[in-house]
Amino acid sequence: MLAAIRSATLVGVWGHPVSVEVHVASGLPAFTVVGLPDASCREARDRVRAAIASTGLEWPMRRITVNLAPGDLPKAGTGLDLAIATGVLAASGQLGDAPVERFGVIGELGLDGSARPVPGVLPLVDAVGGGEVVVAAADYPVARLVAADRVRPVATLRELCDALTEAAPWPDPPPITPAPPPVPEPDLADLSGQPFARWALEVAAAGAHHLLLVGPPGAGKTMLARRLVGLLPDLDPDAALEVTRVHSAAGLALPSGGLVTRPPFRAPHHSASMASLIGGGSGRVRPGEASAATGGVLFLDELGEFAPSVLDALRQPLEEGVVRVARAQGVVEHPARFLLVAAMNPCPCGMGGEIGCRCSPSALARYQRRLSGPFVDRLDMVVHVDRPEPTDLLGGRAAAGTAEVADRVARVRALARSRGVAHNSGLDGPVLQQHAPLEPPAQEVLRAALAEGRLSARGLRRVRAVARTVRDLDDAGPELRVTDVMAALSLRARRDSFGGRIRG
Amino acid sequence: MTDRGVHAAALASLPRAGARRLHRLLAGRDPAQVWDAVGRGLIPAQCGDEDLRASWRRHAAVFDLDGLASALDRLDAWVTTPLDAAHPARLTDDIDPAPVIFRRGSLPAPAGPTAAIVGTRRCSPTGRSFSAELGAGLAAAGVSVVSGLALGVDGAAHRGALSAAGAPPVGVVGSGLDVVYPRGNADLWEAVATAGGLITEAPLGAEPEAWRFPARNRLLAALADVVVVVESKEAGGSMHTVEQAIRRGVTVMAVPGSVRNPAAAGANRLISEGCPPACSVADVLVALGFAAEARPADPSVPPADPDLPASAGPAPLGRGVAPASSGSASASAGPALVPAALSELQRRVLDAVDDEPVTLDRLVVRVGAAPPEVLVAADVLVTQGLLDRDGGKLVRAGP
Repeated sequence: MLAAIRSATLVGVWGHPVSVEVHVASGLPAFTVVGLPDASCREARDRVRAAIASTGLEWPMRRITVNLAPGDLPKAGTGLDLAIATGVLAASGQLGDAPVERFGVIGELGLDGSARPVPGVLPLVDAVGGGEVVVAAADYPVARLVAADRVRPVATLRELCDALTEAAPWPDPPPITPAPPPVPEPDLADLSGQPFARWALEVAAAGAHHLLLVGPPGAGKTMLARRLVGLLPDLDPDAALEVTRVHSAAGLALPSGGLVTRPPFRAPHHSASMASLIGGGSGRVRPGEASAATGGVLFLDELGEFAPSVLDALRQPLEEGVVRVARAQGVVEHPARFLLVAAMNPCPCGMGGEIGCRCSPSALARYQRRLSGPFVDRLDMVVHVDRPEPTDLLGGRAAAGTAEVADRVARVRALARSRGVAHNSGLDGPVLQQHAPLEPPAQEVLRAALAEGRLSARGLRRVRAVARTVRDLDDAGPELRVTDVMAALSLRARRDSFGGRIRG
Repeated sequence: MTDRGVHAAALASLPRAGARRLHRLLAGRDPAQVWDAVGRGLIPAQCGDEDLRASWRRHAAVFDLDGLASALDRLDAWVTTPLDAAHPARLTDDIDPAPVIFRRGSLPAPAGPTAAIVGTRRCSPTGRSFSAELGAGLAAAGVSVVSGLALGVDGAAHRGALSAAGAPPVGVVGSGLDVVYPRGNADLWEAVATAGGLITEAPLGAEPEAWRFPARNRLLAALADVVVVVESKEAGGSMHTVEQAIRRGVTVMAVPGSVRNPAAAGANRLISEGCPPACSVADVLVALGFAAEARPADPSVPPADPDLPASAGPAPLGRGVAPASSGSASASAGPALVPAALSELQRRVLDAVDDEPVTLDRLVVRVGAAPPEVLVAADVLVTQGLLDRDGGKLVRAGP
């Protein structure tokens, strides 16, 4: 007897359809799984056997062969448990003539026969294709995002069998718990003083320009960075689905409504390995922090402490918005459209030449060399922050709160959408030419900067995009004025940008 | 004895041959004889234990005197001991005498008055430009500038002295004469050797190890009639030079700096402890015993530091230079320097910057204009040479 159940496995953040073929034949009792299962997948045998027994169904004492097709694609994870169990029951005739081929089945099994959620259910359901899809009840909120009313949530293997044999109707979907009121993101109004850094933050948020904050410990770099994500607008539906897909595949906690609607904020520790930041790992290629931050903010605190090779690996995502992890088996592409916010001290001791700085010029030079030129070239803005002076704190104008700044950011993002891009940093080529024309003096400033070798071609494009955002935040006039271009230009990293007083 | 002092050089190259051991070893004798004696194992017991004496003997037995002589030739370096007329008397009579010194340049010994200008390697632009101004003014007045050829204050003082083409500068270094350190000052190293002289106790090939610098600082103090601290942190090599100067009764002067300038903290503390302030070249000249009339007639010292943009107009000698008081500096120096073309905002930004490096954040608060406007105004002022960047901060450009 043969049965084939549709299911899916994860390849990176994408699902790949898998056909679970179960053959039950006479012979010595045996249970083999073939088709490149990984360890967690091979263990399905024991879970499935116990789950079928606990459910009160019969384990066929015959020769059972499970093939996971296509046979050359490595299968990872536990999401095939439910499909294997369904296949065994169908092939041993315990489901009668139930139309099992109509259903895609995704879920892990407990020994008691309960259906458990699996990471990556969103891309998996997507990959299974048309028809109804059976998932664990706990996966319902996420699965419905791509399959809507085709999702059949079940809590146990018993519920699934009863529904397939029409002994009982499909169970009602569990109620979607409304999203709890969002945890208030830290508000910009908490910060006093630092008007320039706040403005730079606003520019970064409005145009999605990569930002590096440099300053001594206690200058508020991390406070500023954490407030950036609050300035970003909600994710649009496409972006929300993409972020949810990545988070689902990465096994990150999803909101109770299933859909990630707020831009994520990811802050990996500076000991992060290449695989954890970019993606990879043995066996299945997992999305890294760069992908988890897609649509949101990737915050690298203590940038100077990251391994230089890890930082340089960020060059591709910074440029293209994707990470391509190449393996002997093939290339996996993950989205990685993040806004990079980094923070670093001006020198190893953090004081940057202030009282108590103990760094020798050579130590300083070594520290600054940790950032490669090509990496620095991809940073749009370098902003120096210092501990605010008490007088600055008291004398500053009342600081605008997150809500007020977020309004302005949303306005600029709307302008960008009218230009056909999500944000100004996406402007490129003819679109940039069309939407960021230069007044003659502004052109002159850029020509001089190019002639001096201060700007690369990439730098030129980025300066224009930042200048576009500066103008958008001001009065959104059509042409870039010389002041906009100069502001964008001086926000860019210079050779001496990182604290350095290294001169003979 | 060969004319370059190769035997003295060879003695200084012996393992663990510090100044005190060499002093005891030489004991006023001719280095060639002493070298011969070392080769035969006739080493005074007070030079070290048996192991050391044995190692010296072994060392001397295989030593390549000719190689050393040709190395000295290549560098145009020579070596003196107290027996040589050219050996600086101050180093012979010092409380901690230097028995063997390696030197380059024509200068036999600093003749005439000398002033050591010392300070931190990581000075502010103000400190750098004032150091250059002091170097230029003193050299023009016939005072040899003695300094360590380090980055920062030291190098700036020498660059200033060279630009004035006055009294020959003397560089006292911590490494061997064939080991240029810091590499960034290689040009300066050559220029000082040509115009004046280089002096070190370190044998050829000696790396600039940390322990050599205190010894170097003692030579600086011994050679100077006055030590001027331009910018120094509360602890550091300059402070060690000051201690050495005090032990020798050499006058120490300090250049006052802004209380907010961390690089000036050490110099300010010296003043509060009683050091006379050096607010101008004239102050140092007075301390050296120059009568007021004897100050150089030429009031315009050429712009000292080639790295810094030239200011508008000559910098009169003895002008109360910037670090003295931040508030009055910006008020008094401002209008004279500012070209008329500045916009009102640019002028306000310029007025809001004093000698203490200031972040854009603080500048925006002080000026009270929109951040991008302040950013652009500051940028224009930097382009015009009125402001300097200091890392991420802004500071008034030096004169």
